Amino acid sequence: MAGTGKAPLRDRPDVLLSVEELTVEFPVGRHEVVHAVSGISFDVAEGETLGIVGESGCGKSTVARSIIRLNEIRGGKVVFEGNDLATLKGEALRQHRPNLQMIFQDPISSLNPRRKVRDVISEGVRVWGGGKGAWSQGRIDELMHAVGVDPKFGDRRPHQFSGGQCQRIGIARALAMDPKVLICDEPVSALDVSVQAQVLNLLEDMKKRYGLTLLFISHDLSVVKNVSDRIIVMYLGKACEIGSADELYEHPRHPYTRALLASIPEPATTVDVSEGNIDGELPSPINPPTGCRFNTRCPHADEICFEVEPQMEAVGDDHFIACHHPVAVSISA
Amino acid sequence: MGDDNFPNVEVAMEDVLDPTPDDAVKRKLGVGFWIAIGWLALITLLAILAPILPIDGQNVTGAGGRLDGPSMSHLFGTDANGRDVFARTIWGARVSLSVGFIAIVAGMGIGGPLGIISGYFRGKIDAVISFVFVSLLSFPSLVLALLIVNSLDRSLKVVAMVLGILAIAPIGRLARANTIVFAEREFVQAARVIGAKDVRIMVRELLPNVLIPMGALALLGVAVAIVAEGGLAFLGLSVKEGATWGKMILAGSDARTLRTGTHVAMAPIGVMFLTVLALNYAGDRVRSYFDVRETAF
Amino acid sequence: MADSLLSVNDLCVRFPTDRGVVQAVNGVSFELEQGQTLGIVGESGSGKSVTAKTLMNLLPRSAEVDGSVVFDGRDVTELARRGESHFWGVQMTMVFQDPMTSLNPVKRCGEQIAETLRYHLGHNRKTAIAESIDLLEQVGIPEPAKRARQYPHELSGGLRQRVVIAMALACQPRLLIADEPTTAVDVTVQKLLLDLLDKLRRDRGMSMILITHDLGVARGRCDDISVMYAGRIVERSDAETLFTDSRHPYTNALLRSIPRIDQPSHTRLDPIPGRPPEQIDPPEQCSFAPRCRYAQPDCMSAVPELGGLMGLHSFACHHPSNTPRGEQALAANLEAGQTAAGLHIHPIEEAAH
Repeated sequence: MAGTGKAPLRDRPDVLLSVEELTVEFPVGRHEVVHAVSGISFDVAEGETLGIVGESGCGKSTVARSIIRLNEIRGGKVVFEGNDLATLKGEALRQHRPNLQMIFQDPISSLNPRRKVRDVISEGVRVWGGGKGAWSQGRIDELMHAVGVDPKFGDRRPHQFSGGQCQRIGIARALAMDPKVLICDEPVSALDVSVQAQVLNLLEDMKKRYGLTLLFISHDLSVVKNVSDRIIVMYLGKACEIGSADELYEHPRHPYTRALLASIPEPATTVDVSEGNIDGELPSPINPPTGCRFNTRCPHADEICFEVEPQMEAVGDDHFIACHHPVAVSISA
Repeated sequence: MGDDNFPNVEVAMEDVLDPTPDDAVKRKLGVGFWIAIGWLALITLLAILAPILPIDGQNVTGAGGRLDGPSMSHLFGTDANGRDVFARTIWGARVSLSVGFIAIVAGMGIGGPLGIISGYFRGKIDAVISFVFVSLLSFPSLVLALLIVNSLDRSLKVVAMVLGILAIAPIGRLARANTIVFAEREFVQAARVIGAKDVRIMVRELLPNVLIPMGALALLGVAVAIVAEGGLAFLGLSVKEGATWGKMILAGSDARTLRTGTHVAMAPIGVMFLTVLALNYAGDRVRSYFDVRETAF
Repeated sequence: MADSLLSVNDLCVRFPTDRGVVQAVNGVSFELEQGQTLGIVGESGSGKSVTAKTLMNLLPRSAEVDGSVVFDGRDVTELARRGESHFWGVQMTMVFQDPMTSLNPVKRCGEQIAETLRYHLGHNRKTAIAESIDLLEQVGIPEPAKRARQYPHELSGGLRQRVVIAMALACQPRLLIADEPTTAVDVTVQKLLLDLLDKLRRDRGMSMILITHDLGVARGRCDDISVMYAGRIVERSDAETLFTDSRHPYTNALLRSIPRIDQPSHTRLDPIPGRPPEQIDPPEQCSFAPRCRYAQPDCMSAVPELGGLMGLHSFACHHPSNTPRGEQALAANLEAGQTAAGLHIHPIEEAAH
């Protein structure tokens, strides 16, 4: 599985963000590096929601954090509106910040416990000048209304709100910047089951209302499917399969995607998961397998998989996989 | 919706989105804290008002007999030179408290920012600043004090400065450790994503969080500095002019005085003990009061 | 029932805190038969973990416990009072969510299992080590002899949890309590672990209590499922009935609020408003009423008892969904535009896709 190859990049005028052969490595110890992301390419069109799904350690959060430049990027491009964010530094990078905002995983950790929630939400407006005028106060109130937190509680501090409410406040903070792209890194995984749906619906509403483009990262396959138009499945720093949400879940072609779907505690009958179990453990990202990175656990792996890294190839209309032995589409009535 | 025969119903979300009521999360500092603060306020007030209080000057001799025990006219008795111990304890508070507070303000003023910078930027800056902290900590503090006080003079300023320098490293390291913890929190990353500059992040996001543990340590630090002044006095290195608690204890603790007039040493020791206790207790309460105020539960 | 292994009767657990007494568990009763698996499903704060800790005698001293727990005819609270040390860990054991907290980081995995065997069963060192390697093999750890000599941090999360399971099984327990055993691991590993637990349980004729927040995990792994909300069991039935014919509005709403993999993307979710209540001085009412679209005046004044049509399926609700009484309540609320708790509801013509 090699996500190497730019095949999934689309030549469309409305592509807002395109990531080309992104590589991220973190040094550990003296001479070792973690190959967190190794040459992944994809793009996001305006108004689209791109889901990134995979297990822990697959590099999905690193991709998100690299796009928003919270990580050092080792190689590749992150092109947003014609600018390569990967090479920007200092003030030039800062000027681009408002366009790309992020929702974090832990709603409580993502709010400063010592600040009033109104100040948390309006911080961005003040960083970029403004915030004193009535216009901004009105706008903050409007945002709080939009995300479902009564503005009259604006003087409370984060610890007085529940996790779900804190996540709403985090969403309002991001929206205050008037972003074009909203990156959501596991936004509901820290929330109670009964509260997750509230936040997912809210994200959909906000996307429509403010014309956002979403990048949605999660380990939860059902959640990702619910919010996404297009989905990337990642494994050990590489992309294995990219496709439209419904197509990918109904006709998964990559053995890993099938294994993931088959592992859901309650697989749905409409999804083709004829592949069954995968065994073994995730290899170390410090020393990933050569050839296809999934070869240690793949039921179909043979010689070529250990020697040659598969390239991303189209297997259907807007459906790409990186596999030497794609699983055949079963034709069912 | 799937296989169930449910009528589609929309529920208004905002009806049930009230935060936890304000009063439900109030915590108490406790009576002990307010007693401690009361004592500290009293001592501070007396020290400030010493010149206008109806008490003897600190060096007025012959106010009574030598080594008189406590009486109505001399609450804490008199010392070997016939000076009023009560008056001298109050005058001594001026020096002891000043030394304590100046030292800690210096420690926080220098150590705090250095610690935050070090913990926020990490890397080379951190290596350099941490090396300075470690050097300060590993330098024998008594030798440092001896060197500085002997090469300069024994004024209040110099003694406070010495103690201030000694306070930089512990406070700085605490600030650094706390900064590292908070800098990893997502709200700091969120501030960066919004486009806040480094200085703004350090001042607006990190400082308010680091200040509380630092303030709690500072209260304990004042106590340590007051005790340290006592130690310096025994080495003859305390402030030259005027009474200090340390010098009073020293004067009261030679064998003859201790035998005939225990009160001369006991009075400043008692006051110092209560003050240090109050500072420690208040520091502890402040820390636990602001601790864990993160979630509603 | 004569043949039940564990019988919990009207269990109440209270924690005094600065802000008041927290009613963590409020009158929980259930029976578990030999060889059966009971699922306890609930959100954080529902009391599911506190129930498990009560059974395992792991509550802090400040906790006030009422009610009875009888295991195989023996009063468990009495055992706790006597300081019985060879009951927990032998007859009844537990697997926790985070394997790192149950393993000692400075001891080799094999030794930790061996220690359990030596302490409870009086094995000598040699046989204990040999048996621990055997146990590691039974839980599907490859190269068990090598793994036994490794420290917990050298193993992956999935393997660590297997070591914990091996340790829990060491003394042939009759009841295994698994508290969110797979929350800390990935889906592919989760499936393997759940399959393993299932197999071990069947092979040994053990009983199991599986505690989870994930309804999907409980389905297909449990004979019976109890749904907990705010310290109470609100619905209990066999696993399939719960998913196809749930009666408590909470279970129902929960099932409908979770995104499902067989729905097309962008299916509008049907969320539960609000959040779980705090359990300090809970009012005398159904604890779900403020979030419930069926809520009627009687829900606001009386706590519903757990009861039902037949013994197998019971639920604590005055106006259960999928019943005429429930439909009437919903229709009345829709007409009024709000529920008895003041929650505004109105019908929508079609689900937004």
